[in-house]
This record gives sequence, structure tokens and C-alpha cells, in this order.
Amino acid sequence: MKDKIFGVLQRVGRSFMLPIAILPVAGLLLGIGSSFTNTTVLETYGLMEVMGPGTILNAILQVMSEAGNIVFANLPILFAMGVAIGMAKKEKEVAALAAAIAFFIMHASISAMITIHGGTESMLSGATASVCGITSLQMGVFGGIIVGLGVAALHNRFYKIELPQVLSFFGGTRFVPIICSLVYVLVGILMFYIWPVVQNGIYAVGDVVLKSGYFGTWVYGLMERLLIPFGLHHVFYLPFWQTAVGGTLEVGGQLIEGAQNIYFAQLADPNTSVFAVSATRFMSGKFPLMIFGLPGAALAMYKTARPEKRKEVGGLLMSAALTSMLTGITEPLEFTFLFVAPLLYGIHCVFAGLAYMLMHLFEVGVGMTFSGGLIDMFLFGILQGNAKTNWIWIVIVGIVYFVVYYLLFTLLIRKLDLKTPGRGDEEEVKLYRRSDVEARKNVTNGNGSQASDEDEISAMITQGLGGKANISDVDCCATRLRCTVIDAVLVDKELLKSTGASGVVQKGEGVQIIYGPRVTVIKSNLEDYLANVEEMPKDNSKANVKENTETTVEVNAEKSYDKNSEKVVKSIVISSPVNGVAADLSTAPDEAFAGRMMGDGAAVVPEQGVVYAPEDGEIAFVFDTKHAIGFLTDSGVSLLLHIGIDTVKLDGNGFEALVETGQHVVKGTPMLKLDLDYLKENAPSIVSPIICTELEDNQKIRLLKEGTVQAGEALFAIDIYE
Amino acid sequence: MKNFNYTITDEIGIHARPAGLLAKEAKKYSSKITIHAGEKSAEATKLMALMQLGVKCGQTIEVTVEGEDEATAVEEMKAFFEQNL
Repeated sequence: MKDKIFGVLQRVGRSFMLPIAILPVAGLLLGIGSSFTNTTVLETYGLMEVMGPGTILNAILQVMSEAGNIVFANLPILFAMGVAIGMAKKEKEVAALAAAIAFFIMHASISAMITIHGGTESMLSGATASVCGITSLQMGVFGGIIVGLGVAALHNRFYKIELPQVLSFFGGTRFVPIICSLVYVLVGILMFYIWPVVQNGIYAVGDVVLKSGYFGTWVYGLMERLLIPFGLHHVFYLPFWQTAVGGTLEVGGQLIEGAQNIYFAQLADPNTSVFAVSATRFMSGKFPLMIFGLPGAALAMYKTARPEKRKEVGGLLMSAALTSMLTGITEPLEFTFLFVAPLLYGIHCVFAGLAYMLMHLFEVGVGMTFSGGLIDMFLFGILQGNAKTNWIWIVIVGIVYFVVYYLLFTLLIRKLDLKTPGRGDEEEVKLYRRSDVEARKNVTNGNGSQASDEDEISAMITQGLGGKANISDVDCCATRLRCTVIDAVLVDKELLKSTGASGVVQKGEGVQIIYGPRVTVIKSNLEDYLANVEEMPKDNSKANVKENTETTVEVNAEKSYDKNSEKVVKSIVISSPVNGVAADLSTAPDEAFAGRMMGDGAAVVPEQGVVYAPEDGEIAFVFDTKHAIGFLTDSGVSLLLHIGIDTVKLDGNGFEALVETGQHVVKGTPMLKLDLDYLKENAPSIVSPIICTELEDNQKIRLLKEGTVQAGEALFAIDIYE
Repeated sequence: MKNFNYTITDEIGIHARPAGLLAKEAKKYSSKITIHAGEKSAEATKLMALMQLGVKCGQTIEVTVEGEDEATAVEEMKAFFEQNL
């Protein structure tokens, strides 16, 4: 049960990443735009002549400021859509549309209820707000999250619904926006009664938080850091940054909720003289920690590493420390000591709380878009001037932090002989070296494959997660690959770590592998790999022993049959119908084909838009939807050439048939023209199963080609046994 | 011999996947199962022949079952069609 909750929370946290990822760019636009249109700033730096009001530069900056501001002003709907996309299992674009509709409908319903009950005057002041131009309840991002989660739940339940014949047009994904609209009319009406109560609750919590003073700030900082190993910190800090939990303030005549919103509203408001510390207390603490403290820890780890290891450890720590300093992404560094020395992480959490508290104490008013790196500190601290932000305290406290972290880490590592990088045995150095890859490669692929390094990492990740069949879902946030597996037992943490990860967290079926900011690339590579490559080589993989999918068992059974059975009396070779990439049929992303239910053969991925006749033979049929061709070779083999997966649904779009049913063709005759771009966009996959539909019991398929293949080149053989 | 008529409700008709399922199902029985669609007919175990029929949504087909286990087979096939097509 606990694992399940963790899994759900993990997904929710992950779904926040998409809307959160827009904040840095919006923050940059708003930060640069509003800073350099602020006359106080301009006068301070003597820039009135160049970019004061009336100049072209000023106009551009004003546009930038507004462009950034609109994002912060409309975060609720962005969260509604972002969360819906993140939580929807498939057909995510439909969920996004449904979320936008549901969001509008909910707020419109609330608005109507408000009017019916006597308009905004009869409501508590501050309880209402204009949401996308609709006068509605002030729900902040909670409103968006309620919509996102609800829509995703409805979507996952109904996106495959089948309606009776007459209504079938409205079935499937089209049903999702419909049901969401109806449900959110009710949710809107309900919210009119419920939300004011919730709102009071939130205000009460916000009040407690406000009154908690410096100690509260410390607890906040401590909690936020403690949650990082679990990846749940986004779920934790978001309410503070985006809702009344983090306080409310009137800025430029408007009531603003949430710490980050308050900061950016003040940033956009030219009349701000000092940034509200009651808001920035939830943010500023990150700066001394990330720009100074953690690099101090990195230096300590470098100095305590064994001399012969220093060079390689230095590279790892240097890049991690720079990432932390510049962007405020700390996980690569934190995870280098979290797993080997939890005590250090515990101390780090206490100091994190302390950093927030000190910033609060010294009234530092520096906000941030997403984390506390130098870029944010420059834009939102230094540039705004010390009078408004007290940013100088970041540096003062920071230098102290650097020294304290350095001394404390050095002392503890030496005293307790903690195995930070470069201090343990050979394997303990968590550095991903080329030689490791090579070694690994030789083990897994004895025959020496031509796969690239990226594929090799993907292959190791796949294997570490228990094989392709065990991976149910792959996603990532800023620094970690977040996967859901089917059977948690098959996960090999050590192997995953050896792929260059700084740490691996597993809770039941949820697995997080921490790589740092390059994770997005790793994720894309892994997805490509999973889409294109066959099941992992089985020889030495742990997964093999516990392999439980029917497909593989069947395959193995077949293979042993091959070995034991009598000799082959005849082989018929079938050539590839396309220029592209060939692979085992089990890699087709479709159970029915991969499970060889329709027959055996191979899977090809076309890279050029023509399907040629694989052999001399007759066109048995061309489907009306032109996505598949039945082909009877002159040697008597029935082939089904099925182009792409689920392409039957495209209704012939993207295909052009060049042959007719009954026509006799010679090998190499063009049969179909494909619009590959269209197919890639509109079909789940363009992996194309080429299969023999009527195999006798004594006929077995032997794959002849894997990887790049030309049309006309031998693809597989049908071995006929005695 | 037993038989029944069935009107296809699957939006896309008998395409590759349902045909594969059908052929697999039909192989379970010793009876000869034949699908008649208009003028054409196909043995249910023959995937290619099934697809060649080009059966569409809304089209009515006749299924005939002939053999030792025809009594059970016909019921099972009925259920299969209702569930999958």
C-alpha cells in the first residue's frame, strides 16, 4: 500500500515537471524585461539614455516582461494541462485538450454560481479572482491540479470506451472531453460550496506557517531537502510557492497568493521598494546552499579522495559542483554522498534548513524561477540592487557555508572513513568510464555488436530494469529517470548504478535512477532503444531465469526444438520489402505480433517510403486501408506485410497502393508508397511485421538479418524440417 | 452441420489482428469452421484467406461449423464473435 502511494505521488510529482520546466524561461523574460524597464534600476546603472522609456530597447523589454508575466499569471491552466498530460497513460494530447475544456467549464460554472448567489460582493474579499478572464474562486494552482488529476483519471478510464453503434462516433478518445465537460460542471457547482471551506483551511495553514517564524522556515528547508531522495520535493514546495499556504500579499492593487507568485508580481510592479521576505523565505535559502555550501562539500570529497584517484574523481565532482552553482540542480552532487554516507546527507538537510532560516533572519528577498543557482541570483538578486533584496547576505552566509561544509565534510569523511568517491574499492568509484562500457559490452554481446555507446547504456538500463518486457513506463524529471516496472524483483540496482548514475532509488514498482541534467538525453536514447531493439540477449541476464512472459518462453521452446530436431531439408529465403532496419519479431510494439499470434517472421522499420515485392509472387489482397498487403510467393509462402502498428485506423491516409489484388509481380516491384512523416506522427509505431501466416509444424523461421537492411536483401529463412 | 449469422460491429472489420485471433480460436476445434461473406468463403483457420474476404463493419457473415465437436464449437465461436468482432 505504501509503495502504491509512493508510486502515485511519484507520478504526480513527475507530472509537475512539464509546467515547472517553463518557469525558467518565463522567469528570464520577466526578470530581464522588468529589471531593465524599472526606472530605479536604470538610474542606478546610468542607463536612462540608452534604454529609458521611449527607446526601442525599452519597448522590446516591455514586451519581454509581459510575455514572461503571462505565464506566471496563468499557471493554473498550465498545471491543469501539464498534470493531465503527465498522468494520462496514452493518447496524452486528448487529455490535454480535455483538461483545458474542463478547466474553463469548472471556472465558468463557479462564476455562474457566484452571480446567482449575489455576485462577488457577497463573497469574502480575496476569495474571488479573475481566472483567464472568468470571475471565479481564487483556487490558485490547486484549481489546475484538481482539474489535471480528475481529467487524467477520467481519461485513463474512458479513452477506450465503446459506445453503441449509433453513438460510436463519440466513442474512444472523443468521449473523454465530453465526459470531462459534464463532470466538471458538477465539480464547479460543488467547488462553489466546498472551496471557501478549503480556502479557510489553507489560509489557516498559511497563517500558522507565517506565525511559525524562523523556526518554521528551518522546518520547511529541512523537509524540502529530506524529500529530495524520494523525488517528492516538488509535491512539497509547490503549495508554498504557488498557493496561499505560502502566504498572500497585495501587490499593485491585486491580492496575490503563493511565495513565487508574490515575488514575481513584485518584480513586475515598478513601485516595489523592498521584496517581501515573508515570500522569499521559501526560496532564498537555496542560494548559499547551492552556490557555496555544496561546492565546499565537493572540494572536501576531492581532497579526501585517494591521491591516485583524485584526477578522475575531480572530473565528476567538478561538473556536479558547477551544475549546482550555475543552475541550482543539486542532485548529481548530493547523490554522490547520499548513498555512501547518509549521515552526511542528514547533516546537509539540517544545514539546508539553517540556510533558509538565516536568509529569513537577514531579510534576504531574492526569488527564483526554479532553483537557486548563480543565474537566478544574478537576475533576481544582484540586478535588483541590494537595497531591495539584501543579496549581499547570500555571499556572506555563503562563504561561511563553504568553509563549514568543507571542514565538516573533510573531518567526518576522514574520521568515520566514509566511502565517498575515490575512497572505496575499485568498483565503488561511481564514475562511468569507457573501459567499463567496453567490458560490459564484451560480456553481454560476445559477438561484438556495432551498437553505439548510447545504445549500450540503454541496453544496460534495460537489463538492469529486468528486460524490456518488465518495463511498464519510462519518464524523467530534471535529474532522474523515473521508471515503473512490472516485477520489482527483477531490478538490478548495481547494474543500474554502473550505467553512470549517481544513485538509484527503488520503492516497489517505482524506480528512479539519478543521472543529473543529462537525463533527458538518456531517456530519449532509452526510448529509441526500446522502440527499435530486440529483447536483451538472454545468456547471462538475471531476468532470463525469472522470465515470465509467455512470448519468450515460446521462443525459447522453439529454439530448443530447433537444436534437437532432425535436419533441415529445405530453406526458403524471404527478402526484405523495405530499406530500413530489421529486428526480431518480438520487438514489435504490439502484443499480438510480438507474441507471434498471427505468424512468425521479422519486424522491419522502413526508412524510405516504398514497399517493394519481397519475392516473385502474387498480390493476394491489398486492404482497403492500404496498410497491409497479403502476398503469396511463387514458392508457396503466404506473407502478410503489415506496415506500422495500428495503422488500420488511419483509413488509408499516408499510404498509396501501386498494385492491385490478383496482380502478379516480380521481386523489387514497388507495391506501396508511404508518407513516413505522416505515419510517424499518426501511428503508434512504424515497426512493420513481415510474417508468414500459415506455417506448418515442421516449419521454423530463422532471422537472417538484424540492423540495417536493403530491400531485396535476405531477411529471414523458413527452415523446413523432415 | 451447425451455423449462425453474425453482423460485424468492430469498426474496422476483420483486419489482421482479429483475423489472427479468429484463426487461433478456430484451430482449437476439430470441426471445420468456414466463414461465408457474400459470394466468398474462407476456412477460419486460414489467416490469409480470412483477410482476403475483406469483411467490413456492418457486414453480415455466416459461420458454418461441421465436425465432431460442432455443438460446443458453434457456441464458442458465437461468443468469440460477440466479444471480438
